[in-house]
Amino acid sequence: MKAVMLRKRNWLVGSVVLLGVLSGCGVTLPPKELVSARRAFKEAQEARAAELSPVQLEEARQALARAEVSFEDEGDASVTRYTAYQAERRALSARSAASAEAAKQARAKSEQELRNLQAGYQEATETKLAKTRAQLEKEAAEKAKTKEQLEAERKARLAAESKLSAALASLEQIAKVKEEARGVVITLSGSVLFATGKWELLAMAQNRLDDVAKALKDQGYKHIVVEGHTDSRGSEQANLDLSKRRAEAVRSYLVGRGIDANKIEAKGIGEARAVADNASADGRANNRRVELVVTPE
Amino acid sequence: MTKVLVLGMSAVVSLAVACGGAAVPHDKVTAAEAEMRAAEVGGASDVQQAALHLKLAQDQIVKGKALIQEGENEEAALVLDCAQTDAQYALALAKEETAKKEAEAAAKEVAELKRKTAKGP
Repeated sequence: MKAVMLRKRNWLVGSVVLLGVLSGCGVTLPPKELVSARRAFKEAQEARAAELSPVQLEEARQALARAEVSFEDEGDASVTRYTAYQAERRALSARSAASAEAAKQARAKSEQELRNLQAGYQEATETKLAKTRAQLEKEAAEKAKTKEQLEAERKARLAAESKLSAALASLEQIAKVKEEARGVVITLSGSVLFATGKWELLAMAQNRLDDVAKALKDQGYKHIVVEGHTDSRGSEQANLDLSKRRAEAVRSYLVGRGIDANKIEAKGIGEARAVADNASADGRANNRRVELVVTPE
Repeated sequence: MTKVLVLGMSAVVSLAVACGGAAVPHDKVTAAEAEMRAAEVGGASDVQQAALHLKLAQDQIVKGKALIQEGENEEAALVLDCAQTDAQYALALAKEETAKKEAEAAAKEVAELKRKTAKGP
């Protein structure tokens, strides 16, 4: 405790002596306004005022210089304090102006970045839009193509049907034509084609078969089965044999008239599929026939 | 008569010299008041620190005018100069505040747009 008191007293004595010495030498301590002004100027420099607010900093420098001169000439007079006060305010203004300028530059940078972002986003959006548009156009084109194809198929089908109708119409003038589940059936009367019990084609049969061949070629065909049919007179075997020979004769003739041999076959059915009553002459006449079963294209 | 006038004028001048000799700083009153108005228009009243220096400037103008009344022209001039610098500082603070707010708003807009566009279009 005694040591502390002694230290305090020594310090006080030392300060008084120092002040006395300084006063004796004519050294005046700067007024607080000048100290503040110097500090403010330093802070303005550190805040990059030389770069950001050079005009204001120069004004502050000149004001501080005036204050320093005043302090040198007048010491701690009121004029020095007023001048230093002004210098401090100018230095603070310079620092504030530097801060404002830095903020303006930051804002300008942000605005540029905003523009870049917006441009980039817009570009990306447009690219995506273009891609989507192209995809839609592609799908529309494919759809249109399918539609076109369908239309072409429909037209082809209509043309084929029309052709078939025309062929059928011409055939109907020379034979019975009927559409059945097994195909288009052209029925030629046996009495027109063959003599009784014979399988050689009569002369007038050839004319008929020429017309049939032409109609078939016009219509188009996938496959033809020539079926020979008889009435029930005579043995079943004999009728079967006769019907087969008659079918072969018609087949050969048609092949000779340009029908594709690979697409036509002959079958003997005999009396098995009667279409009329064999008890009557008319019935038997109807049963004696050759049927061409045509599978259209 | 002329002699009286000359003598009278000399007396007045001598009196003026004896009292300090500084001209009445009416121009400094005008200048200080103009700086104050500029600071007010610049929004200094809306910024706390700026409003404080605006008040200081106002008080100094009042003091300066009082000193003029008392014939203390030299001191009045100094006080009015201080008023000017305080008003100028008030305006600088207001401008700084505005600039900072605008910079902040722009930065916020950028951040917002970045957030929105992060996932792409």
